[in-house]
Amino acid sequence: MMIEFQNVSYSHNNDSGVKNLSFQIDDGEFAFLIGPTGSGKTTLMRLIYFDLIPDSGIVNTGKFSSNKMTKKKKPKARLDIGMVFQDYKLLTDRNLFENLALPLHVQGLPSREIADRIDEALELVGLTNKKFHLPSQMSGGEQQRSCLARAIVKEPNILLADEPTGNLDPVASFELVRLLETINEMGTTILMASHNYNLIKGRGRRILELKDGILRAA
Amino acid sequence: MIDKFLYLIVEGMKNIWRHKITSFTAVFSLFLTLVFIGLLATAGNNTHKILQYLRAKYKIEVFFRTDFANEEAIGVIHKIKRIPGVRTATLIEKEDAIRIFKDQFGEDIITLLGYNPLPVSAVINLVRSSEDPIKAGPIVKKINGMNGVEEVKYQGNLIKKIERTYYRILDKLPYLAGIIIFVTVLIIYNTIKLSVYSRKDLIKSLELIGASNLFIKMPFLFEGIIIGLISSILSIPGMLSCIGLINYILSNFTNWGIRISVDPAIWIWLIMLSVFITLFSSYRATSSILK
Repeated sequence: MMIEFQNVSYSHNNDSGVKNLSFQIDDGEFAFLIGPTGSGKTTLMRLIYFDLIPDSGIVNTGKFSSNKMTKKKKPKARLDIGMVFQDYKLLTDRNLFENLALPLHVQGLPSREIADRIDEALELVGLTNKKFHLPSQMSGGEQQRSCLARAIVKEPNILLADEPTGNLDPVASFELVRLLETINEMGTTILMASHNYNLIKGRGRRILELKDGILRAA
Repeated sequence: MIDKFLYLIVEGMKNIWRHKITSFTAVFSLFLTLVFIGLLATAGNNTHKILQYLRAKYKIEVFFRTDFANEEAIGVIHKIKRIPGVRTATLIEKEDAIRIFKDQFGEDIITLLGYNPLPVSAVINLVRSSEDPIKAGPIVKKINGMNGVEEVKYQGNLIKKIERTYYRILDKLPYLAGIIIFVTVLIIYNTIKLSVYSRKDLIKSLELIGASNLFIKMPFLFEGIIIGLISSILSIPGMLSCIGLINYILSNFTNWGIRISVDPAIWIWLIMLSVFITLFSSYRATSSILK
């Protein structure tokens, strides 16, 4: 399996967090994580990419395990994870091409391959004509698709999307989920967090429901 | 690997352009600080010139008895010249004294009194060494004991005061330099730190996409080196302009005859100091965010 939680608990200073979570997400699966604001969705995501290390229990992501995680291993573990955020986290001082090139430079790819991969990713998300635009010159939906392109350009095995439709209108939200489904069809394991149940229901995907840090349904 | 390294260098350069205002602020504050340090170091290098100037003003005046003839005084002058520490001894004959009196008071003393009461005298200048303090006391004592000498005048207390102050400053200069360098390091460190902190988001994003700490730090380090180099190179003409202005004032508005000179070694030190501090600051600032 790609992601595995074994009795994982993590508590923030204000007592919020997650409590005794156990679940697995299989290789190539597309699962939704649903729950109200403050239910622990972001904490769970951060535990997956080792931004947080559990107080108790074990998180396994790909080949990496939280109980063997070191500062040095974190970058390596994250190379195989693509992330999409509600607030996009695009670098506002760089154009789309430069934003997408960043994770590829981290991987040490040659310039020619970087350019090819960016072209492919932009074609997939439909932003080829925005290649040299700054984030400020794009709409919210375009910025979110840019964020998705940045996540997939490095061809990760796992894609985490934390409230990716939070700032989008219903049409753009629907298009984004369709795009994620297309990416999943290519073999990428996806976990998407959302509090919009209407958007994810009826898609035939597994839904993990979090409430007050406790997993209600899986 | 080479692609990655080149990318990081180019990123460092591009970052300066991308964050023009932050970079300009860093370069400008560094430039000002370096000019200030350079001027202080130059002042430290030139303090001996001020002392030399003041020492040139030190003189011992020897008055002989009124009945002492010019010829007798010449013999004594020769003896004075042989005293260690004496640079020159100039005889002022009775006739010269009349002229000096007339120049200073506008009166002819012979017309007034009918005879010349002014004695033969001599002006003695001491050896000016920039290393050792002038010790006029023993010289005065020796002259006092010579034949025909009635009175020896010299600005003993003033000389002592100047010498004491000079050596007191010289003793404290290393501490002062230490404090100034410490404050400078703090200013530069905080400037670079602010510049790095303004890009906290970039560092966080890089962390999330799997960049290693070294990959994240490298462009900031290159940026720091470039900012350090630009600031220190700019500080050289800045410093030279200030010194040119000081020299202009000294030569046009004073008669001190002092000209400030710059030791080129200061520039090398400034460049090294600037690059070292910016490199260190960038490293510390990025490390503190990456904790």
